[in-house]
Amino acid sequence: MSILNNGREVAILGVGMHRFGMFPDSSNAEMGRIAGLAALKDAGLGFKDVNAAYAGQIFAPVMTGVRVMKEFGLTGIPVQRLDNASATGSACLYEAVGAVAGGRYDVAMVLGFDKMTSMIQDSTAGTDPANLEDAILPAAFFAMWATRRMHERGTKVEHLAKIAAKNWNNGARNPMAQRQSDKPVTYEKVLSSRMVAWPLTTMMSCPIGDGAACAIVGTVELAKKLNPGRPVVKVVASALQSERYDRGHLFMGPVVGPGRMTVDTSAVCYQQAGVGPKDIDFVQVHDAFAIEELEYYELLGMCARGEAEACIERGDFELGGRVPFSTDGGLIARGHPGGPTGLAQIWESTLQLRGEAGKRQVENARTGLCQMMGGGSVCVIHILQKG
Amino acid sequence: MSDTARARRPLKQGYFTVPEDPVEPPKLLGTLCKDCGEYFFPRRAVCAKCLSENTGDALLGPQGTLYSYTFVHFPLFGSTRMEHVGYGVGQVDLPEGPRVQTPLAGKQEDFTVGMPLIAELEPIREDGDKDVVILRFRPTTSAGGAR
Repeated sequence: MSILNNGREVAILGVGMHRFGMFPDSSNAEMGRIAGLAALKDAGLGFKDVNAAYAGQIFAPVMTGVRVMKEFGLTGIPVQRLDNASATGSACLYEAVGAVAGGRYDVAMVLGFDKMTSMIQDSTAGTDPANLEDAILPAAFFAMWATRRMHERGTKVEHLAKIAAKNWNNGARNPMAQRQSDKPVTYEKVLSSRMVAWPLTTMMSCPIGDGAACAIVGTVELAKKLNPGRPVVKVVASALQSERYDRGHLFMGPVVGPGRMTVDTSAVCYQQAGVGPKDIDFVQVHDAFAIEELEYYELLGMCARGEAEACIERGDFELGGRVPFSTDGGLIARGHPGGPTGLAQIWESTLQLRGEAGKRQVENARTGLCQMMGGGSVCVIHILQKG
Repeated sequence: MSDTARARRPLKQGYFTVPEDPVEPPKLLGTLCKDCGEYFFPRRAVCAKCLSENTGDALLGPQGTLYSYTFVHFPLFGSTRMEHVGYGVGQVDLPEGPRVQTPLAGKQEDFTVGMPLIAELEPIREDGDKDVVILRFRPTTSAGGAR
């Protein structure tokens, strides 16, 4: 049984972001401070009210977590740095939610930041030939999901391009998105972009970027007290799983999956929240490549096995559709700096549930699901609900 | 060919054999769990399935079946010998059970899901009088057939 079902009710008290993008002149400390102060202000709290902090980062050197937290002041609180690849920010949130539910802290700050651009500049050109696994790029790994899917289900490249175009167009409505196209992106344009690993093109793939995002986690009781006029955003499910062994398991390469992990993790979350896929109004996923979002439609139970392609053709997952996915642009358009990515999903979902998502608002949004994968691999899912 | 064959060494030790005879296909260095019978690649000490420590070395392949593939439009790391127009990558099911990800020999149109493959060694650069080789798989006409 989860601590969420036995412990205190937990809420997202506030959220804040530094836009994702290429910011060579901004430091992790600067971006983290901007996102963190925005989240505190949104919550109606000061840093003196924060009992503990979880700093999520993948690429920054040792000590960066605790050093960035000094931007807010030195109050002696516990600061922990956590890394779980792409799922870093989500994994930090998982720890904070458990700690607040269990009564260890009343207010926890979850801050994710990264500078993927400087990581790329610092590394030597190309991949490391001493590491056999480096022959398999993440794009190649997910391209093989696509090839297998095409073989089994007759998926067309147009289906992948339509997912990417949707996310580009959602991103254009999000001021925090890295990619904000000034005119609508067609699936033909996605298909004509440069090939990375067949059948995945650059516009079907997430960009490299920098950025920061923050969520302040506390009790529902406190949320009601701090902002009495505002809907409370409750965390009604929080789960993290690593892989279970099945034959065919890949032990080498930039591995994410198998699909069973998303199925299992979402099943735990649906049980914790007492909801099913039909109750979910909008979803954020780890769409680092368009084929991933297609698979997650089915793995999260948002459509039956084999029906994703028909749903894409009907527009089920677009804004205004049955269950909008990647409403903020997803990793493909909002961006994917690393540490903050999962917290950008929480930023978006919190705004959606409060009715503050502007041009990308999902009507009558009451329950949202956020799924992240971290290479290696892990799956983290949270379900947020308007209280 | 054997008269002029150069000595070879693996890019990284511990993953595949480098046969003396250049015509002989390499095998993959894996592990067998002596309690539950599951095979693994690469080598590991504890069985991932039944958690037994009663494991031993096993040679896997060289045959395989293509589970999925792609063609990457970037040069393979550090290669001065392989074509720079890109390279194939496959998920290959070995007859013993493990699935491995390796580069593939050939062009995109040469690959189909479910096709039989055979392991081979490909030089990617020279190191003194030796060729530094990596493991890859090549489409073959029949399971177990040489090229």
